[in-house]
Amino acid sequence: MLCQSCGQNQATTHIKTIINGELAEVNLCRECAQKLGYNSFFGNFGMDFDKFLGSLMGGNESRTLKSRKRCNCCGSTFEDIAKSGKVGCANCYDIFYDELLPSIQRIHGKTVHIGKLAKSAGSEVKMKSTLAKLKEELTAAIKEQEFEKAAKLRDQIKELEAKG
Amino acid sequence: MDKWYNKSGNEGDVVISTRIRFARNLKEYPFPCRLNDETKCKVAALVKDAILNGNSALASRFEYIQMPELTQEEAVSLVERHLVSPEFISDRQGRGLLLLDDESVSVMINEEDHIRIQVMHQGLDLAAAYDIADKIDTLLDERLNFAFNDKLGYLTQCPTNLGTGMRASLMLHLPGLQQSKAMNRIASTLSKLGLVLRGMYGEGSEPKGALYQLSNQVTLGISEEQAMSNLRDVALQLVAQEREARNNLTKNIEVVDAISRSYGLSRYARLMSNEECMKLLSNIRFGIATGIIDKIDFDIINRLMIETQPATLMKNVGKKLSPSERDRIRADVVRSTMLKTNIPNNRRLEN
Ligand SMILES: [Zn+2]
Ligand SMILES: [Zn+2]
Repeated sequence: MLCQSCGQNQATTHIKTIINGELAEVNLCRECAQKLGYNSFFGNFGMDFDKFLGSLMGGNESRTLKSRKRCNCCGSTFEDIAKSGKVGCANCYDIFYDELLPSIQRIHGKTVHIGKLAKSAGSEVKMKSTLAKLKEELTAAIKEQEFEKAAKLRDQIKELEAKG
Repeated sequence: MDKWYNKSGNEGDVVISTRIRFARNLKEYPFPCRLNDETKCKVAALVKDAILNGNSALASRFEYIQMPELTQEEAVSLVERHLVSPEFISDRQGRGLLLLDDESVSVMINEEDHIRIQVMHQGLDLAAAYDIADKIDTLLDERLNFAFNDKLGYLTQCPTNLGTGMRASLMLHLPGLQQSKAMNRIASTLSKLGLVLRGMYGEGSEPKGALYQLSNQVTLGISEEQAMSNLRDVALQLVAQEREARNNLTKNIEVVDAISRSYGLSRYARLMSNEECMKLLSNIRFGIATGIIDKIDFDIINRLMIETQPATLMKNVGKKLSPSERDRIRADVVRSTMLKTNIPNNRRLEN
């Protein structure tokens, strides 16, 4: 199937859309998808998977072991994920962390979360995040010359750091 | 209840709306792509209960919609009103939607992720929209167990959403930049800043109605606040560039003529295709913003842009219509609305 945007390359990304009141699919090649702002994770994954297989072909001992690894929660193999572009469950991210990391790095440029935390987040991460927020508030308080507030914040920070 | 799209907000001449969307999943269940319909229904029941029986002032204002029960027109109309994604209605089994009465909040259950919280506000209004999404998210977090990893943040079916799981988008009306052929240059610059600019209707180089969506692309390693602040900074620059492009274009009599003709057609045409309608409404919006057309509230045009979409037209009439019947009714809707906006002339007489 040819790309509907350039009409030249093979379409690899299929996007659901509404055209004149009807549900339709737009088929795009990797380049056009990227140009139009659609993250073609399928393409990215494919590349990693090829590389992954390539490294196995190199006669690695763990070859069969590694490629047969399955998520014990949803049953996905890394091949399933790479082919569909879909991660099966939360547990897959633990099982296939090393395999997924290069793609994650390429998409986001970073590999460590900053921002809101779920209640299930670890206590260390929660503490770090609270500290970062307090320090931000402290900088702001000093800038605004709210010294009483700043002193209180400084005490809170000291207390938390002592606990950690 | 007045729908969100019946209002216009900050920078309303360029920014039509703000959308904040969070992707969340339940720890105990595989992602929806790995669930059968029965388990999907279980997940839907959990999320529905968490919202409707949650300790929120909004709870009583939500309606729960079982997606398989809708007609095709009703389902497509949800997409036209920007309440759900096209993907969400492509297979409706096991999917549910929680919708706030003013349609400013929708919670998609079992789309790509178990939960997609979406908040829409008029104009440029990132902080307020975020605030509501954040509250609903916190409420759900209290009652459910979210899939979360200390390193990767909120876990999502597609790794493009890892981290905050937040996508902030602005719907922009950019006829000035589009007609100045500046869009390709701008889109490629934006991608380097971790943002995406995409046509809302149609994938070609000239999306219908000159409507574009600007969103953050990166969600991991950047906080919600920082992502929104980047988006806002870039959006304000685009707003300034768009206004300048409009001012330059309106020195051209051909552009002024096209705008004035569009206004005339909107008031007198009897048949109007979807494509023509979007073009006319875009021109009229452009004309209002530059003072070529007498002042009409942007919200009237925003509303028409949604109400004249094919499925929403049929949903409002309450029956299936052939394309030619739709063209007639569309023209009726536009004509009657635009003729009612005759007030500016009267005002001028009074002055
Ligand atoms: Zn192409
Ligand atoms: Zn899994």
